[in-house]
Amino acid sequence: MSAFTKSELSLTTGLISCHEGGQGRPLLYLHSAGGLRLSPALEQLAESYRLYLPVMPGFDDTAKSEKLKSMIDLADMVAEVIDSKIKGPCDVLGYSFGGWIAAWLAVRHPDKVQQLVLAAPAGFRTESAGTTAGESEYSRQMMFAHPENLPATQTSPEIVAQNRAMAQYYRGGMTGDRDLITRLQDIEALTLIISGSKDGIIPVENVRLLKERIRHSSLIYVYDAAHALDVDQPDRFARLVKEFLTRGEAFIVNQSGSEAA
Amino acid sequence: MKFSYFHLMPWCFANEPDQEWPVSNRGFIPERGTELYKDYIDTLAYAEECGFDWIGCNEHHFSPYGLMSNCNLVGSVLAYRTSDIRIAMCGNLVPLLNPIRVAEEYAMLDVMSGGRLIAGFMRGIPHEYVAYNIPPGESWERLAEAYDLIIKCWTEPEPFGWEGKYYQYRAVSIWPRPHQKPYPRILMSASSPESAKFAAERRAIMGMVQLSDINAAKESIRVYKETARRHGWEPTADDILIGAHTCVADTADEAKAYLGEGLKYFYNVLSGGPRTAQRLVVQKTRYYHDEAVQARAVNRRTVLKEIPIEERIEKGLVLCGTPEMVAEQIVRLKEELGHGVMNINMKIGNIPQDVVRHSMKLWAEHVMPQVRAL
Repeated sequence: MSAFTKSELSLTTGLISCHEGGQGRPLLYLHSAGGLRLSPALEQLAESYRLYLPVMPGFDDTAKSEKLKSMIDLADMVAEVIDSKIKGPCDVLGYSFGGWIAAWLAVRHPDKVQQLVLAAPAGFRTESAGTTAGESEYSRQMMFAHPENLPATQTSPEIVAQNRAMAQYYRGGMTGDRDLITRLQDIEALTLIISGSKDGIIPVENVRLLKERIRHSSLIYVYDAAHALDVDQPDRFARLVKEFLTRGEAFIVNQSGSEAA
Repeated sequence: MKFSYFHLMPWCFANEPDQEWPVSNRGFIPERGTELYKDYIDTLAYAEECGFDWIGCNEHHFSPYGLMSNCNLVGSVLAYRTSDIRIAMCGNLVPLLNPIRVAEEYAMLDVMSGGRLIAGFMRGIPHEYVAYNIPPGESWERLAEAYDLIIKCWTEPEPFGWEGKYYQYRAVSIWPRPHQKPYPRILMSASSPESAKFAAERRAIMGMVQLSDINAAKESIRVYKETARRHGWEPTADDILIGAHTCVADTADEAKAYLGEGLKYFYNVLSGGPRTAQRLVVQKTRYYHDEAVQARAVNRRTVLKEIPIEERIEKGLVLCGTPEMVAEQIVRLKEELGHGVMNINMKIGNIPQDVVRHSMKLWAEHVMPQVRAL
């Protein structure tokens, strides 16, 4: 049984769906262009955090909002989710397309973001390397190192297509957001950047760029994972996020076998 | 053809065959050890004068079979004792070691030598897993993960971390980075089809440091080439290294006598302990996934031990004889296997140092001119 329940949230931009579940400190999760996937990795995180998982309008068969037209609009909308639902600053985890929104959120609303996790983040392409997610066999290989881990029930092809169209709409055809790239040094939040060692969607140069520009950041490669970190290596992904969020900058110090100070 | 002068740095003063593992070090004499290291390093430096293209050494543990538990220490001396020759570390035994340390030491060697390192990523002989207490069944997975991590260490311009199955590091940024770009050429063992495939998938030079069976070598080369093509690249002769125990002397009888005695010491005295431990590891663990390879490996060292010197020469497993004979043997081997690099090991067992030096001199003056253009 899923650890999450779904409700509607009324914002100035309209109604949105928001799933939530788990116990602990609040953690806001922003989904990828494929839509919200309630994966075992998220369930593991829900063991330690109260997760809030808003569905971006137009994704997963939800209604679009005429007021939301760009990645910046989405980031501002997410800021309102934090105010109205979480009622205070929180940790934010953005995956792929959600990482793009999360980075804008950290730039435009620094007071609402405590620690930031950018998992295989999209939006920072400076060259033509890499690819975008799609349905071909090649694209699937770039996406998954272990497709056998995918759950048996999957989102219908129509919704997947609709989700991709929405992602395209919000990013306005961009794969590299120059305005955001020039503002990365404004991010003050302690940031963890995660990349799969076999990610074929996001070029390695993009995550290096983030590491170089975001002042207080760590870049970690998850071995034997492609773009879908949560599917390919759910345990490694969840462990990494938990340790980072729990221990902050000290997460680089090995404390296994001893009491954390 | 290119030639690598390879050294195992054996201990030459053991008398009794020792079948126990690990081999007791009660008979080690430090003063003699000091002399041996000096001789061996002088010999390796002399290889450059003799026209060899590479010098090579490797890593072994817990027996008189080899005195290089860390060949990088020897490599660092050679970096300053030589000037142009490539320095081939035909170890490190990567699954046994801290990959970050391997990345760092290899990068140091590459920078110290001005970009002359050939970096060996070896899985190791099975018994080494006992020495460093690593489960042999994990060897392939550890090698694969460590390989990816070491390449990251060498190529990543920003500090990074690694969340893997066997290795977890949260903040890595090695100093120095390698001299060669993007990183030094990698050499991997390919003495079985499984290892040949692994090497080809990573565009590494395939190495059979000690030839033990021509047909098995042909099969490994076939698998290596086939895998490489499937991965979009075409190996050349320079990507294939084949090694043989070698003795060049003024007469065929002399060469046969020296190599025969050296091999007797090598197989009976030096290899006893490793043979015992190897059998145990290979039989009791999943070190080899392929059962046929496993069965062959159990007996390999015992079978090799029994082959008479004449048969070794006839089968092309050793290079032995006058310079003319050795040159012919090299030509024959090249025709059979099509390799472009030969790994020449002249210090076999307890062959005396002056015999080894003479063999090298004959090689330089009479063998090399005949085989260089192959």
